[in-house]
Amino acid sequence: MLLTLDLNDARPLHQQVASAIRHAIGEGAYTPGDRLPPARDLADALGINANTVLRALRDLRDEGLLEFRRGRGVSVAGRADGRALLVERARELLDEARRYGYRREDLITILEELP
Amino acid sequence: MNPRSAAALWGAAITAALVAVPLTLRDRLPDPLAVHWGPAGAPDGELSFAAGLAVQVAMWIAIWGFLLAAAARERTLTRRMGRAYWWGTLVGGGLFVLGMGGTTLLANLDAPDWTAAVLEPWQVITVILVSAAAGLLAGHLGRGGPDLQAPAGAEPPRLDLRPGQRVVWVSRLTNPWLLAVTTVAAAGLVVVAVLDVAGASVGPVLPPLGVVLLVGLLTTSLTCRVTADGLRIGFGPFGRPARRIQLSKIDKAWSDTRYPSQVGGWGIRGLPGAATIMLRGGECLIIRYRSGGELAVSVDDAARGAALLNALVAEEVSR
Repeated sequence: MLLTLDLNDARPLHQQVASAIRHAIGEGAYTPGDRLPPARDLADALGINANTVLRALRDLRDEGLLEFRRGRGVSVAGRADGRALLVERARELLDEARRYGYRREDLITILEELP
Repeated sequence: MNPRSAAALWGAAITAALVAVPLTLRDRLPDPLAVHWGPAGAPDGELSFAAGLAVQVAMWIAIWGFLLAAAARERTLTRRMGRAYWWGTLVGGGLFVLGMGGTTLLANLDAPDWTAAVLEPWQVITVILVSAAAGLLAGHLGRGGPDLQAPAGAEPPRLDLRPGQRVVWVSRLTNPWLLAVTTVAAAGLVVVAVLDVAGASVGPVLPPLGVVLLVGLLTTSLTCRVTADGLRIGFGPFGRPARRIQLSKIDKAWSDTRYPSQVGGWGIRGLPGAATIMLRGGECLIIRYRSGGELAVSVDDAARGAALLNALVAEEVSR
């Protein structure tokens, strides 16, 4: 599972982790039924507290993307919600646009000009 | 020679020798035969002539059948390590079974009774050394050309790292079959411990079960992690002990499909510089060291891990 955290992201860390996991599942690395690496492994790799990862996992469970099973860990329950993924991508697009000096309005104009 | 016809001919020759030699010497052998000896060289186990013969032939047929089946599946012989193990087992295994049969016959030859059959330790040592040496030589001669470094299509996708990002890759793998074997060993240890307390003498079973349990605990599951520190491979359910490989030692990474039959089985296989950590057949993460060696780890989602490793290595080089 490839996870990316943006160090300049102002959102709470658990939301960023949830975004990263949602993104990884959306990319097709994990399909329904696949088990996720344990929260402890993810936390160690990211260098953050395991409770933060657990909180992100619980958020994703409430969203219906993950399911928790006793003794079997955390597995993917369904396909990533389309809208949630789009929001994720849009956020990345906005970040990229800002890097090139474009504002939110410029991006909206670009989207509107698309056929 | 084509490996399959070599295996067929060689195997048939060994089988013929295992059957024909005892039959021609039958008049000079006691019945039952001594087939097992204690550490001091005194016989402590016997079998009828027919049963002794059948056990030896069956042992060889099992090895031979396994090798024929492996050769029938193309992939075993497609990799250098697989070819070396295959040829080594064919020649070394054949000579070992033949040597065991021969020393058994020599010990029993002209003995009035199976209890009078004496096994010379030097014969056993010779058989082990000669078959091991022949197996190593055959493996060396039969290993063939080197493997292609990165087969077509194995190149991982490119990954661009941006400043201000922390990118990590984590994957975990458990083999349920190895886990089952380990669980059986653990249960066996408990049973043995209970029996031991009850006064039965089951001591000799203890060490092998313990070894199976320990090896099993360390190799039923692994965690792989790629971070800015490099690659970390943790063994066992707790991810410890762990093998760490720094980015500065890695030349490149890719993913490839490999099977236990190609690398000599499950577990940690091969020598440093050409080692494989094989928990199941399928997708493997492979890294090439700057020093030239290679390390393969069977793990899911390996292509993404390889892509991140390559990106991190490139970043480290340009720094």
